[in-house]
Amino acid sequence: MNVQDTPEEARFRVEVRSWLQATAPEFCKDLPADRSGIEYAARGQDWQRKKAAAGFAAICLPQTLGGRDASPMMEVIFAEEEARYPLPVGPLTSIGVGLAVPTILAHGTPEQIERFVKPTLLGELLWCQLFSEPAAGSDLAGLRARATRDGDDWIISGQKVWNSWAHVAHWGLLVARSDASVPKHKGLSYFLLDMRTPGVEVRPIRQISGESEFNEVFLNDVRIPDCCRIGQVGEGWKVTMTTLMNERVSVGGESGTLPDVRSVLGLLQTLEPELQAVYRMQLARLAAQEQGLKYFRFRLLTQISRGEMLSAVAGMGKLVYANLLQDLSSLALDIAGTAGLYPETASPAMAAELKKFHDGYFWGAALRIAGGADEILRNQIAERALGLPGDIRVDKEVAFSKLPSGR
Amino acid sequence: MDFDFSDEQKMLRDEAHRFLGDVSSFASIRRHLETGSAFDRGLWARLGEMGWLGVAVAEEQGGLGFGPLELCVLNEELGRCLAPVPFFSTVCIAAEILKGCTGAAAARLLRRIVGGQAVVTLASAERSDWNFDIATRFAGGKVSGSKTLVADLPGADALIVTALDADKEPLLLLVDALANGVMRTALQGLDALRPQAHLVLDQVDADVLARGDEARQLLARVHEQAAIFAAFEQIGGAQGALDMIAAYGQQRYAFGRPIAGNQAVKHKLADMLVKIELARSNAYYGAWSLEAGPAERPVAAAAARLSAIEAFEFAAEENLHLHGGIGYTWEADCQFYYRRSRLLAVSLGNAAQWSQKLLAGYSRGI
Ligand SMILES: Cc1cc2nc3c(=O)[nH]c(=O)nc-3n(C[C@H](O)[C@H](O)[C@H](O)COP(=O)(O)OP(=O)(O)OC[C@H]3O[C@@H](n4cnc5c(N)ncnc54)[C@H](O)[C@@H]3O)c2cc1C
Repeated sequence: MNVQDTPEEARFRVEVRSWLQATAPEFCKDLPADRSGIEYAARGQDWQRKKAAAGFAAICLPQTLGGRDASPMMEVIFAEEEARYPLPVGPLTSIGVGLAVPTILAHGTPEQIERFVKPTLLGELLWCQLFSEPAAGSDLAGLRARATRDGDDWIISGQKVWNSWAHVAHWGLLVARSDASVPKHKGLSYFLLDMRTPGVEVRPIRQISGESEFNEVFLNDVRIPDCCRIGQVGEGWKVTMTTLMNERVSVGGESGTLPDVRSVLGLLQTLEPELQAVYRMQLARLAAQEQGLKYFRFRLLTQISRGEMLSAVAGMGKLVYANLLQDLSSLALDIAGTAGLYPETASPAMAAELKKFHDGYFWGAALRIAGGADEILRNQIAERALGLPGDIRVDKEVAFSKLPSGR
Repeated sequence: MDFDFSDEQKMLRDEAHRFLGDVSSFASIRRHLETGSAFDRGLWARLGEMGWLGVAVAEEQGGLGFGPLELCVLNEELGRCLAPVPFFSTVCIAAEILKGCTGAAAARLLRRIVGGQAVVTLASAERSDWNFDIATRFAGGKVSGSKTLVADLPGADALIVTALDADKEPLLLLVDALANGVMRTALQGLDALRPQAHLVLDQVDADVLARGDEARQLLARVHEQAAIFAAFEQIGGAQGALDMIAAYGQQRYAFGRPIAGNQAVKHKLADMLVKIELARSNAYYGAWSLEAGPAERPVAAAAARLSAIEAFEFAAEENLHLHGGIGYTWEADCQFYYRRSRLLAVSLGNAAQWSQKLLAGYSRGI
């Protein structure tokens, strides 16, 4: 039982720290206030390039692919140290590095790997995920975007929605229905879509937070060459699962810019002692969750570093973190009272702190839905980890074209 | 990072799981309750033969020479099967205190514990627990006072008693439970499987085990350690309750299918597992701190206790609830986890106390 870095890990941490100290501050300076804009994305790409040049872009991948052949533990060490700085990181680059790259590596042809992996790691390609549709989110396999074969091409028509960073992405990961006459999981195919293709129309959606980080994407008879299909025709679900599995492991990483127990405790200490006492047990309960999540990840890392398969409980990390973030943020905003809702009335330092709780209040809500909503994750834990019966399903053996649909 | 129990420790867990599965069941617990005896002496003797009573005691002192991690492993398995033995008070508390004492009396008693010849319990609680805010006095080799809620006192052979001398200096004393002047009154409580009693000492012969700061520090360290062992016991209990309802939920049919097929039911079971895994992760950190992290230990103990209390309470309450009417009967075994989860939620300090410790740790910057 040991939680300390091995000598090798400790050396790597020192290396990473000194590299970040020398490099990161410049990339954190004067970041644009609009964190979903094109300018912000460009800054994110710059940072990705910088990391790639120093060999930190894909720590676990083989050197031939642009990685450094190191252990997953080293990747975590880098992420931990990186999270100490308010850098332009997040889904903007991680959709490519964390979802597209492993998916293409697992199911792509050597040509596809050659064409996409390095440029993505180098920050040259930004990606978006074109999965969800107005009528298919949790029930992703119920998607309707159609893929019709036409010679060496496919013609795609349909609508995607909630697609983060589609407004700046160069390429998209797309699932579409190539056969509606078979049950829904069996008629899907998976494609890589060049977002500049004629017929692709991206419209930003304004979010509850006021930002526009996600979009709706209309696909009007968009042509995709067959060489951009990943996996076999009709086996798109298998490829999709690879993407989703990587998403569920990655979603839920903390960042230094979001609220944590320490920041709420700081706020609590501004209250009268009697009022503090009322909140303390509630906060301690969340503190125990924060600690538990940290050490749960340590356990997963230990398993990963031994090359063991992760069990279905591994998916609980996102479930716990999303709820913790929402609970912590709303507790903080409760402690701050009415004034906390109006950061501009506070001192600059306090205003920045309050802004963080506002962000957490919104982002917590988003995380509880994105990448598998709470209820879907609970179903998975119950069915896969505990072996409990599945839900009653009316769509299993029925041709997709015969299924009922709602709003 | 290597954040896991070793292969040998896992083997011990598997062995304990198999062994306890064979010898301890709800049926045997019920038989034991009917005998009215303080603990299951047959099982206790077997634990002694297997070396468990000295698992964390040095080989020179007759033990197996392992450490606190092995105690964590055993506590989890004992917590799952609720075996009616005074393992926690004797092995996890008393023996750990004796290990920290010098002197022949402590060494002799430790050997007797390891050999299964002595059940020993700590008698410290008066106004509050685990401190020296007490009225019990020691003078001229004799101790007088009274202690409340002493766990496993009815079957104890020896007692470790907290007291103050004439100069109000803290003392840990060793008392023979059969000595003249020792009076025990059994108490009826929520969990009969772990009997508690009231203790009155009237001019009883006692030996000094430790005094002054040494006594104070020893008691504080054993308390923190015990909190971490208790967290493992709670996790075992929570897992036992989850296993019970997962099995029942598949067998019990309503509306033409197993009740566990309904989301309202299965999501609760998923939440049980999530709470258990969080608690387990904190308890692992606690286990790590037992050997390697004295500075981190108070916070590790607090987080482990808080999340273990929550996990066991939730699992025990929902296990009973999801059994429906049968869950509310004497005949069903849900009661055992229901009772034990409440007992363990308050022994060694309740959630409010551990909350203060955890936040104090954050304020210090753990
Ligand atoms: C911030 C954010 C970013 C996103 N980014 C992307 C992206 O980049 N690309 C992309 O493709 N998608 C993205 N999504 C979409 C996301 O994957 C979906 O929103 C999510 O899968 C839920 O689908 P839905 O919105 O259609 O909700 P629905 O599926 O309609 O669910 C509505 C509610 O019903 C519950 N529910 C549904 N089915 C069940 C069931 N069987 N049992 C119990 N409860 C059920 C859900 O848990 C949920 O609470 C993003 C979402 C958010 C919030």
